[in-house]
Amino acid sequence: MYPLQQEEIFRRRLPLVIGGLLIAALFLLGRLASFQFQLAPEVTTYLESLRNSGYSRTLRLADARGIIFDRGMEALAVNTLEYKIGISPVLVTDARRAATQLSALLNLNELETFEKITNRVPWVLLAPNVSAEVGQQVAQLDFLRSSLSIEPVPRRRYPQGTLASQVIGFVGGDLRGYYGVEGYYQEQLAGRERDRLISNIPFEVPQDNFSDRGNDVVLTIDRDIQFLAESELQRAIAESGSTRGTIIIMNPRNGDILAMASYPSFDPNNYSTITDNSVLVNPAIADQFEPGSIFKVVTMAVALETGAVTQYDGYFDNGQIQIGGITIRNWNRQAEGYVDMTQLLVNSLNVGAATIALRTGPTDFYSSLGRFGFGKTTGVDLEGEASGIMYVPGDSNWSESQLGTNSFGQGIATTPLQMLTAVNAIANDGLMMQPHVFYRLIDGERVQTSQPSTLGRPISAETAHIVRDMMVAVVRDGLDGNAQVPGYTIAGKTGTAEIPSPVGYEAGASIASFVGFLPAEDPQVSVLVRLDRPRDYWGSQVAAPVFQRLAERLVIMLKIPPDDIRQALRDEGGIVNRINR
Amino acid sequence: MAAENWFQHALHRRPWRTQRQAFALAALSFVVALIIGALYLAQAAALSTTGRQLESLITQRNQIEQANEQLRAEIARLQSVPRLQDRARELGFVEAGRSDIEYLLVPGYNPDRDQLAVSRVEPASRQEIAPVYEETFLGWIQQQWDAFQRQGSINAGGSE
Repeated sequence: MYPLQQEEIFRRRLPLVIGGLLIAALFLLGRLASFQFQLAPEVTTYLESLRNSGYSRTLRLADARGIIFDRGMEALAVNTLEYKIGISPVLVTDARRAATQLSALLNLNELETFEKITNRVPWVLLAPNVSAEVGQQVAQLDFLRSSLSIEPVPRRRYPQGTLASQVIGFVGGDLRGYYGVEGYYQEQLAGRERDRLISNIPFEVPQDNFSDRGNDVVLTIDRDIQFLAESELQRAIAESGSTRGTIIIMNPRNGDILAMASYPSFDPNNYSTITDNSVLVNPAIADQFEPGSIFKVVTMAVALETGAVTQYDGYFDNGQIQIGGITIRNWNRQAEGYVDMTQLLVNSLNVGAATIALRTGPTDFYSSLGRFGFGKTTGVDLEGEASGIMYVPGDSNWSESQLGTNSFGQGIATTPLQMLTAVNAIANDGLMMQPHVFYRLIDGERVQTSQPSTLGRPISAETAHIVRDMMVAVVRDGLDGNAQVPGYTIAGKTGTAEIPSPVGYEAGASIASFVGFLPAEDPQVSVLVRLDRPRDYWGSQVAAPVFQRLAERLVIMLKIPPDDIRQALRDEGGIVNRINR
Repeated sequence: MAAENWFQHALHRRPWRTQRQAFALAALSFVVALIIGALYLAQAAALSTTGRQLESLITQRNQIEQANEQLRAEIARLQSVPRLQDRARELGFVEAGRSDIEYLLVPGYNPDRDQLAVSRVEPASRQEIAPVYEETFLGWIQQQWDAFQRQGSINAGGSE
C-alpha cells in the first residue's frame, strides 16, 4: 500500500513540478529576450563598444575652430598643427645615430636625448610641441619609422603676436576659448566635436561626415589702428614712466571699437609661460578707476539736461566749497572769481563741478548718471567686463559729500570703456551706442553683419552740442595746444585723478587721462587715453600729447579731411568721413 | 493528348533522364551560386578598394587642409604690421604726414556714394556641383566585370 501511495503522490505532484519548471524556463527565456531587445542604451553602447573594440576604435575629433579676422579681413587667430614626438627605446636599433639626428632636428641636448633613447622604458616623450615643418622632417627618418610616434596636436596661433591679445583672448590646451573674443564667442567659434569610427575591416567604408567647423568671426577692430594705439601706448609708458595704461579708440556714431590697447599685455602664443594672471584680464573693460576730471563733462551734461544750469549761467568761485562736512578745493587751490560754464570746464574747476551738482540735486544727478550707464556693465561682447562702482542716495556707503566728490570724478569708479561710451553719447548728438567688437559672422556661405544698437538717449542733441562746444573750448584754450591737430576742431577733456588707498589717497601718484573726439562737429573717432602713475602728474602734460599724436595719425588712416575741406565738400552736398560698415 | 502521353511514356521509360535532369539542376544551381559568389566577391573587393581609395583621399584632403591652414598662418605672420613697416622702410618708404596729403575738391562730386561691399567668392551652387547619374544596369554589370578582371589581374600580379 505504501509504495502505491507514494506513486500516487508522485503522479499528483509531477504536473506541479513540470509547471513550475516551465514557468521558470519561460521567465529565463523572457529575460534572455529582454537582454536582446530591451537593454538600456548605455548598456547597449557598452556592449557594442566591447564587441567593436577588437577591430575598430573611436576617435573624438573637434572640427577646426573658426578664424578671427579684423575688419579688413586680416587674420588675428588661425589654426595650425604641432606635433608631439615620442619614441619607443626598445625598438631603436641605432641609438647613437638616432640621438644625433633627433637632437639636431628637435633642438635638444644630444647627450640627454641619447640617455632617453637608451632608457629601458616602453615609451618616452622627446618633444611636446614641435612645428609642422620639424614634425615632417622627423617623420622622414626612415630608420626610426617603427620606433617613433608622431602625434598631431591642434594649436591656435596668433600670427600678429601680442597685437590685441587682451581683446582676442586665447585658446587653452582643452581647445576652449578663454577671455576676450575667444571666450565670449566660444560657442560660435568652436568646431563641433564628433566621434569617428576607425575600422580595420577593409569592407567598411570609412566615415567622413561633413565638416562642421566653427564660424569665422570678423571684428570691428582695425589691425592698423590697433597697432598704432599699442605703439603709442608703449611710447607713452616709456616716456612718462607710467606703470600701466589703456587706450581705446571707437567710432562714436555706431559703437564700433576700432582699437583697445592696454599695458601690460601678454603673448597669446605663449600664454602658458605667464606668471601673473592679471595680464590676461582686459583693463579697458575690467579695471575700475576713479576717472577724475574727465567726468566733469558728464556732470555738466547732466546739469544742463536737467535744467539746473544753462550754458549762460555762472557762479562765483572762491576756491572752495563745503558739502556734507568736507571741503572741496580746486586743483590749483586758487579762487577764480566769477566763472561761466565753459570756463568751468576749461579750467577744470572742482568747486564749479560740485556747485552745479548741488544745483542738480542728488536725485536727478544720480538718475542721470544711471542713464549714462555708470554703475552697470555696458554689455560689450568681451568676457570679464566690470560694472564700476557708483553709490547712490539710500546706499549705506553714500553720504552727501559724495555728491560733491562724484561731480569731479572722485568716489565713483568706472571702467575706461564705460567712460568713453558716456562721452560718445555727447559726440553722437546725445544718443549712446552699444560698444561692441563683433562685426560679422561667417558661417560657410552665410554672412551675418551686426547692426549698431543704442543704449538709450541720456541727453538731448541740444545739450550734447552745448557740452561738445565746451569741450572744443577746453582743447582750444585750456591745454596750451597739447591736444590740438592743425586744421581740425577737436573736443576733449583732461583728467588727473588721485589714486585711492586704504588710508585716503596716495601722495604724488595720479591717473592721467584724456578723452576726446574729432572732428568735433561731425565726430568720426573718439579716443580715451589713461596712464597710471606717470612721473609728470597732470593729464594735460602726459595724456593729452598722446591723444594729439594719435589724432595726427588717425585723420590720415581714417581719411578724415581737414575742417575747410569738409566744409567745402558739405557745400557740394556730400557728407564726409563716414566709416562704412 | 496522344503526344503528351508519348512524352510521359518516354520519360518514364528512361529513368537515367531523370537523374540527368537532377544533375543538370544541381549543376545549374552550382553555376548560379558560383556566379553570385563571384559577383559578391567582385563587389566586396571593389568596395574594399574604393574604401581604401576613399581613406587615402580623406587623408590627402586633411593634409591639404592642414597645409592650407599653415600657409594662412604663415601669410598672416608675414603680413603683420611690424614686418610690413620694416620692409617698407627697407624699400625707402616713409609714413605720410598731414602735410604730405593734398585733398582735391571735384565740383559736383558726392563722396557719400554707396560703397561697393567686398563680397566673398561664392562657390558654385550645390546643383552645379552635384554628380550626374548616368548608370544603367548593363553598365553596372560591365563595371562589375571590369572590377572582377582588375581584381584578378591584381591577384595575379601579387603572386608573381
